[in-house]
Amino acid sequence: MATNNYFGFTHGGTQYSATATGAAYQAGQAGYAVAAPATAAAAAATYGTQRAAGYDTAYQAAAATQGTYAAVGTGATPAYEYGYGQTAAAGYTGGYDQTAAAAAAKPATYATTYTQRAAGQPQAQAAAAAAAAAKPAQYTGTYQANATGYQATYAQPAAQTTIAAQPTTQAKQANSTTTYSGYDAALYSAATMYVAQQGGAAQQKSGGWQGYKKGGIGAKNMRTKAPPKPQQLHYCDVCKISCAGPQTYREHLEGQKHKKREAATKMAASVAVTNQNRAGNSLRCQLCDVTCTGNDAYAAHIRGAKHQKVVLLHTKLGKPIPPQEPEIIGGPRNGDSKDDEVDEQPEPDIQPVGQDYIEEIKSDDGKVISFNCKLCECRFNDPNAKEMHMKGRRHRLQYKKKVNPDLVVDVKPSLRQRKIQEEKMRRAALREEFWARRHYNMPEDEDDRMYWEDRRRYEEEYMEMCRRGNLGPYPRGRPPFPGGAPPYFQGGMPMARRTESSDDRHVMARHSEIYPKEEELQSIQRIVSHTERALKTVSDQLAESTKPKEGQAQQPPTPQQPVAAPAANAANATPAAAKPVEAPAVVPKPESENKSAEQQQQQPKEDGRDNQLFSFQQDRDANRILKGVMRVGHLAKGLLLRGDTNVELVVLCADKPTLALLRKVVDLLPPALKQVAPENTYTVTINAAEAGLTVVGDGLTVLVQLTSPIMREQEAASGGLDRDVLARGKCLQALAALRHTKWFQARALGLHSCVVIIRILRDLCQRVPTWSPLSSWAMELLAEKVISSVPGQVQLSPGDALRRVMEAVASGLLLPGGPGLGDPCEKDSPDAASGLSAQQREDLTCSAQYALRLIAYRQIYKVLGMEPLPTQQKVFRRDRSARKRRRSGGEQADSESDSGKMVKTEGTETTTETPVK
Amino acid sequence: MARGGIRGRGGMNRGIGRPPYKVKMFLPRHPFDLALCESSFPRVKPAPDETAFTQALLKRNVDLSPTASEQTAILNLVTKIQTVLDNLVVAPGAFDACQLEEVRQVGSFKKGTMVTGHNVADIVVILKTLPTREAVEALGNKVKEDLKSLMKSEVVTKGEQLTHTTNERGIEISNSFACVRVMVTTLHHNIRKLDPEIHLDQKIMLSHLAAIRHSRWFEENAHHSSIKVLIRLLRDIRTRFEGFEPLTPWMLDLLAHFAIMHNPSRQALPINVAFRRVFQLLSAGLFLPGSAGITDPCEGVSLRIHTAMTLEQQDICCLTAQTLLRVLSHGGYKHILGLEGNASIAKEMSVWDGVVVSPLDKAYENPPEKKDGEEEDEDMEAEGDESMETIEN
Repeated sequence: MATNNYFGFTHGGTQYSATATGAAYQAGQAGYAVAAPATAAAAAATYGTQRAAGYDTAYQAAAATQGTYAAVGTGATPAYEYGYGQTAAAGYTGGYDQTAAAAAAKPATYATTYTQRAAGQPQAQAAAAAAAAAKPAQYTGTYQANATGYQATYAQPAAQTTIAAQPTTQAKQANSTTTYSGYDAALYSAATMYVAQQGGAAQQKSGGWQGYKKGGIGAKNMRTKAPPKPQQLHYCDVCKISCAGPQTYREHLEGQKHKKREAATKMAASVAVTNQNRAGNSLRCQLCDVTCTGNDAYAAHIRGAKHQKVVLLHTKLGKPIPPQEPEIIGGPRNGDSKDDEVDEQPEPDIQPVGQDYIEEIKSDDGKVISFNCKLCECRFNDPNAKEMHMKGRRHRLQYKKKVNPDLVVDVKPSLRQRKIQEEKMRRAALREEFWARRHYNMPEDEDDRMYWEDRRRYEEEYMEMCRRGNLGPYPRGRPPFPGGAPPYFQGGMPMARRTESSDDRHVMARHSEIYPKEEELQSIQRIVSHTERALKTVSDQLAESTKPKEGQAQQPPTPQQPVAAPAANAANATPAAAKPVEAPAVVPKPESENKSAEQQQQQPKEDGRDNQLFSFQQDRDANRILKGVMRVGHLAKGLLLRGDTNVELVVLCADKPTLALLRKVVDLLPPALKQVAPENTYTVTINAAEAGLTVVGDGLTVLVQLTSPIMREQEAASGGLDRDVLARGKCLQALAALRHTKWFQARALGLHSCVVIIRILRDLCQRVPTWSPLSSWAMELLAEKVISSVPGQVQLSPGDALRRVMEAVASGLLLPGGPGLGDPCEKDSPDAASGLSAQQREDLTCSAQYALRLIAYRQIYKVLGMEPLPTQQKVFRRDRSARKRRRSGGEQADSESDSGKMVKTEGTETTTETPVK
Repeated sequence: MARGGIRGRGGMNRGIGRPPYKVKMFLPRHPFDLALCESSFPRVKPAPDETAFTQALLKRNVDLSPTASEQTAILNLVTKIQTVLDNLVVAPGAFDACQLEEVRQVGSFKKGTMVTGHNVADIVVILKTLPTREAVEALGNKVKEDLKSLMKSEVVTKGEQLTHTTNERGIEISNSFACVRVMVTTLHHNIRKLDPEIHLDQKIMLSHLAAIRHSRWFEENAHHSSIKVLIRLLRDIRTRFEGFEPLTPWMLDLLAHFAIMHNPSRQALPINVAFRRVFQLLSAGLFLPGSAGITDPCEGVSLRIHTAMTLEQQDICCLTAQTLLRVLSHGGYKHILGLEGNASIAKEMSVWDGVVVSPLDKAYENPPEKKDGEEEDEDMEAEGDESMETIEN
């Protein structure tokens, strides 16, 4: 008797429960990830690069992810090479820009000496430094290696000053000892220069002294006070100019320029100091008292009109003309011939750069009249000036900035720059300290520490993952950490809640529009229930009429009904079936539903409201003709829409249903109905064409079809031996309807948002003529297959589910040549949509394609046939169905929170899964 | 507790302790893809015979492949220019207008996906220095000179006279048979320093760098010849159907690779299946807003390649594919491949075996309505943001 497997459903069930789809797919994904490690390595390289781009991130990266760097380095793809170059540049040159550049320019600056001192191994390290100085390329390497040590000490200004005094002594020691060898020049000059730049007292003194002396000489020579009485030639001795007349001369004397000059002359010492504070190799024209920054500048000055004028004037006046040789103002090392060599060395080395960026501006006759440097946006008329400009620091800096970032420009960090740099170092050191504390010790707060520890571990794992060959899926380089917010933020942070998309809201709003009203459901429930009970009475009467004695003998019904009990169990087991929304035929509240299910253990159920077979049998009376009735179709599937008036029942017969039997039932039913529901009036009519009868009342129609499993078994042997038997096709349809209902309850009811979408699609099929050829069964199959086939078993929100169905149809699933919809409830799973013509398929696809794009472009309301929803808040209030579900009953609440959890896990799952893609 | 959402937008990544106050949950979803869920849709009716279709695809591929003479012509030119540039990398000599870091071939010639009649090979030159216009000019002149001296001994026929032009991408050297584009870019860390007044456009420079990554990715992942065949077919289709214009060669590469290789077995699909799958994927909205699309494997950030198209372009691209898919399923492959008829099938009604295939309308509305719910607006904006971010990086 086991009705359950009788409908051939078990077959379909096993076929469908093959959830291996997802598994297979996932396995495939893993394979893919392994298959493409090379890409990923490249990507990882890029990733590292990007991380290192900012200075501070570079720092952290270097500290935390040493391993990554090394690993990526071994990969050594060319892409990585730039990446690495960049890292180095950003990490080191960026931070230590000036120092590094200076270091490269002058092979040994105080930086090296300093490192060496800090290390405390003067001899060996000095040798190393010297070697480094010889090869600038290697030098960079050394510099990097020492960088941390350097920076650590450098960050402490106190230590710095104490050490500052030492280089001189060290240098002296080096001088005195015999080990003084080839590297002497560099080292020595480095040391002295360091001292010079330190601006220590001793150095100040020596510089001041020299400057003073020079100043004194200058004053003695020609910087006597301006003669009190001007001669015919109004000559100002201070400014070395002549004025046209007494008037202008007076004005000149009162002018600012003259006064400034005079003051400057008086404070000759200060001049010396400023001179010496500038470059080490200034040249001064003694005649004009003009300081030039280099040989070229000096030459230009000598050639220049101004100098010529002064010379002319002096010859006219018979004043002494000092020798053409420039006076060298070179700071404290002036007298030292060695220093001069060293200092003059770099000067001629400077090659003019950026010739290409200097435009020649020509006059109309093709003569070059001036030059325009496009990099510095300046003009000059003189070719010499152009030459000098191209060697000049400003131009070189511009060139470095705009053309070749590798160009080495001699940089003398000003006091301010140095301070900034110092500050930077200090901050870096602080940060390092902070991290060290965070990571290893000082458990100020145990939770806190744990969090950071976890986070670090997670990051390491992430980096590992990236290296192994997964693409970094995160836009900003850092992986999101699943451990939640840092502890101190946990209180204030709002929990990430899954929000409904606009599509979801529209679908749910439309759904609540098409969902039948409570009264409708109740009246349908009433008529169906009455019909069922009346049918049972009829069945009893028929059974009694055939076997009156046996019927009496079996008066006390056993509490455990063989068929009803499993049915009740099934009702308990499938929570979806108990959900009022998805099983609209169930009117009573869930609590009572639960209770009634329990009660059914003891007493036979009175109608088929659990959408399972309502068996008429009492014990094993095998001779009963009408064995039971079951709700089928939209009623049983819970797909009723607002305005639906037709519902279907199927009565299972023991034998082939005959016309005679049907007539008998039609005769017996009205009195039975009267007995069951005395206050309602129902009309019963025979409907032989549909192999059944109809019960009409309250504007509702119940179609009751008679069928028997024997109709199916007999297939081959039938041959129409009995003309009285009802139409076989209809009987088979009724059987199929039973199977479809079973299938639906097993497959679709439990599937997230599937029933909602099928209702929406039913509505679509009713509204849109293009969709009407799609049979209800084919549509249900389509929706279930499409929604259940999401890779990874992800649950789709209603909006996404609808879109996915549209995607499936749009991608030509139904077009001729498509795979077809296998019907799991038939032998050999034929195409459930085989009834569609090619043109209908075409039109369906066309419509779905347009619908898909409408959904993608936020016009889902057009697809749903509704008005666009205004704002989110209002919709929330309007969306009653969602709220109703939440409020009702314990079981519902459970399932609701379940789905909530699923959403969350889904979120994290995606987080971890995304790299695979 | 998935903090910061899947995309990691927001403050999360910016350092310590800046919780994202605005949590966006935007999960792009992969569209329906029959190849990935075939087990749910077992074939219940016999598959139509597709030998003729496959033959037509292969024939079209042969037609589209460059001829031997074309290949020789372009290879000759490429080899010469590569030689000259390699010399400049190794021994720049007196040439100091710019320093060359690396020279690489990219593009369809390198990938082997060239289409006949489009004899352009691409070479990317990475400069160590910054790419000023003058530097490019100087490089062009230098290459010109070196080529001249290289070809001194050759007998140069009239068609082989080289013409040199300089544009905002670099240098173009062509003769009447072939053309080589030398595209200039600079090292990655120099990109930030670019000044639009003096240097070549930053976006172009980045695109050239990307081209190198693309060709490397292609070498490693897409060497399967089916992919190349499919790319060639798609390139041809792109030129013939207006709606596909916005698809870039890189998108086509990835799309072809996806269609052929992205299936549960990870084995290359047959060309006819893959060809149809391209249209199925596009029809299912692979390149529509809200779709996960295809993630660019050559960008560190997860960038969906179709976001490079405007929303309207995405719509038109999708609807063209949808119409063509229907034509294809009714047996109109010859028209799609360009063996028969013309491209009007994408825009006009056509009849196949009594089935009327009608074109589709655009779904995109301009300007989009704002009242539709702000969240989705954000989605769209986010897409825009994303693409912009990548361009900047």
